[in-house]
Amino acid sequence: MKKMNPERAKAYFRLRTTLICIYLGIGVLVSFVVVLFAENLSSFTVMGIPLPYYMGSQGAIVTFIVLLFFNAIISDAVDKKFGLVPKDDPEEKDQAVNQ
Amino acid sequence: MDAQFTVSLALIVATFGLYIGIAVYNKARATSDFYVAGRGVPPVFNGMAIGADWMSAASFIGLAGTVMILGYDGLAYIMGWTGGYLLLTFLLAPQLRKYGRYTVPEFIGDRYRSNTARLIAAVATIIISFTYSVGQLSGSGVVIGRLLEVDTMIGTLIGVVLIAFYSAMGGMKGITWTQVAQYLVLIIAYLIPVIFMSLQLTQNPVPWLSYGEVISEMRVLDQELGISEYIVPFTEGSKWQFIALMFTLMAGTAGLPHVIVRFYTVKTMKAARWSGAWALLFIGLLYLSAPAYAAFSRFILMTQVAGSSLGNLPAWTEAWVDTGKLSLADGNGDGVLQWTELVISNDIVVMATPEIANLGIFIIGLMAAGAMAAALSTAGGLMIAISAALSHDIYFRSINPNASEKKRLSVGRWSIVLATVVAGLVALNPPGAITQIVAWAFALASGSFFPALLLGVWWKRANGPGVIAGMIVGLTVTLSYIFASKFGGFTILGIIDTGAGVFGASAAILANVIVSLLTAPPSQQTQDEVTDLRYPEQIEYKNGEYWLKKVK
Repeated sequence: MKKMNPERAKAYFRLRTTLICIYLGIGVLVSFVVVLFAENLSSFTVMGIPLPYYMGSQGAIVTFIVLLFFNAIISDAVDKKFGLVPKDDPEEKDQAVNQ
Repeated sequence: MDAQFTVSLALIVATFGLYIGIAVYNKARATSDFYVAGRGVPPVFNGMAIGADWMSAASFIGLAGTVMILGYDGLAYIMGWTGGYLLLTFLLAPQLRKYGRYTVPEFIGDRYRSNTARLIAAVATIIISFTYSVGQLSGSGVVIGRLLEVDTMIGTLIGVVLIAFYSAMGGMKGITWTQVAQYLVLIIAYLIPVIFMSLQLTQNPVPWLSYGEVISEMRVLDQELGISEYIVPFTEGSKWQFIALMFTLMAGTAGLPHVIVRFYTVKTMKAARWSGAWALLFIGLLYLSAPAYAAFSRFILMTQVAGSSLGNLPAWTEAWVDTGKLSLADGNGDGVLQWTELVISNDIVVMATPEIANLGIFIIGLMAAGAMAAALSTAGGLMIAISAALSHDIYFRSINPNASEKKRLSVGRWSIVLATVVAGLVALNPPGAITQIVAWAFALASGSFFPALLLGVWWKRANGPGVIAGMIVGLTVTLSYIFASKFGGFTILGIIDTGAGVFGASAAILANVIVSLLTAPPSQQTQDEVTDLRYPEQIEYKNGEYWLKKVK
């Protein structure tokens, strides 16, 4: 065990928290905000479906999935940047064996 | 005994054999196997297991029907149940995983240093999981009732016996790998019919891209009939009800103990994040398809069933009338069935689809097996949650801390059997449609667990008295609102019982914050533990200092 610079640890937490706030903001935008303005957005259509219906049935869900994968990939990159990746990642090994 | 019966039964028995085989092969040997599958599940497979755990009989059987009957307003379920994974994966799951306990009540009890809080959480887990499992059991009743062409009630009884037997078999380890198999069965069963329907109606094999066309045609039909249009928002309830329901479902998802505990089965916080992403991808496959089902089924019903004479209805309608889920009353006595005279229960849209679209006996059997997989996998997860609350949080942590492993496992197994039988008795005469029962469970979870976990992870000042006040106030407000609006006609902004979680969660957060601030702050050690949850396993926070450690 060695000591970590507290400023660096705090910077890590700030960065992760900021990213999470951005993701949640986008999530709220595609779901709650679209619902809030549903009547006004009904004149726009996507693939023959009015925009609010399209967002509720496909757009929002696809955005959620993309956000979660984005989060997983970017968090891994952030961990790496802060030197937090164990040399021998046990879980990647497990996956390789199972695939 | 006809060919259909034989094929369906053979498929169900075959998948059953598979699940039991997997459960026996992966039988739990240690307590950590029994509760958290030894914490060795790889993220992709955990994603599938979460998917199966999560997608209940209500999702599989009822969701498309709900979307069909409610139109736009049904989409609150689609967005709410998927959006919950954002809250869960961003705000709770990795941190709860780092804290490293067996159950959700155990986290609450240890984080807030309060046995009372743990007991309240354990009781809330039992109530919520119990309510939710009633939906599963009546769901399996619909499947078995239709398959064996008996009353739904007898179908439910058969389901109870099967589920009790099945979930008492293995612990979390067995259930995890069974759920992976069940996910594959249910998703294949769900997608094949909708792809065929898409081909039949639009000559396009990709339902997600093709149903827009059907929706456009239905808008014209709706206008001709002069009924409220399918895609017009807020025809069934107010806008605020939509938003409240969506919030309740999201926060409830993030607070459901049987879902959270699945994140305890992976190794690291990183694996928890990836589990969440994979889980929503696998879940999304079904949720993106439900609106397509809804559109295709409604189109077929409007164009092929409505408007035909009563003596000349398609053969499949008869079997469904027998189960009491479909009613065709010729209200104006003209011998022709109008669209408005057709009363269809949301439970049968998916199950009747292969027959409606004439897809053949193998697909019908596959649907039955898929619906059973959905009911069983969720029931399995729920029964583990109930049994963990009873045998670990209440029995082991409060009543008999010296119990041997053997004793604990046997208490766990017996509590599963007991819970299933009692839930089954309630499911014989379920109060309201499946989706609604499940929505109540969500309101309760969002009024109790979500605030307790959120503040427990993100606010180190939250303390024991705060969480106790929060959970009691949250549950009281949620339950009172459900009963006041359901039976007393009381509503705020048109928000009805299913949206009660929004009030429960706000009240619980307020109560937790106010009481925490009025009482002594938690010990420095507790506050350090909460700060520690901000970081991955490689960093440890202790006495105001950050330590980097080697993780094996």
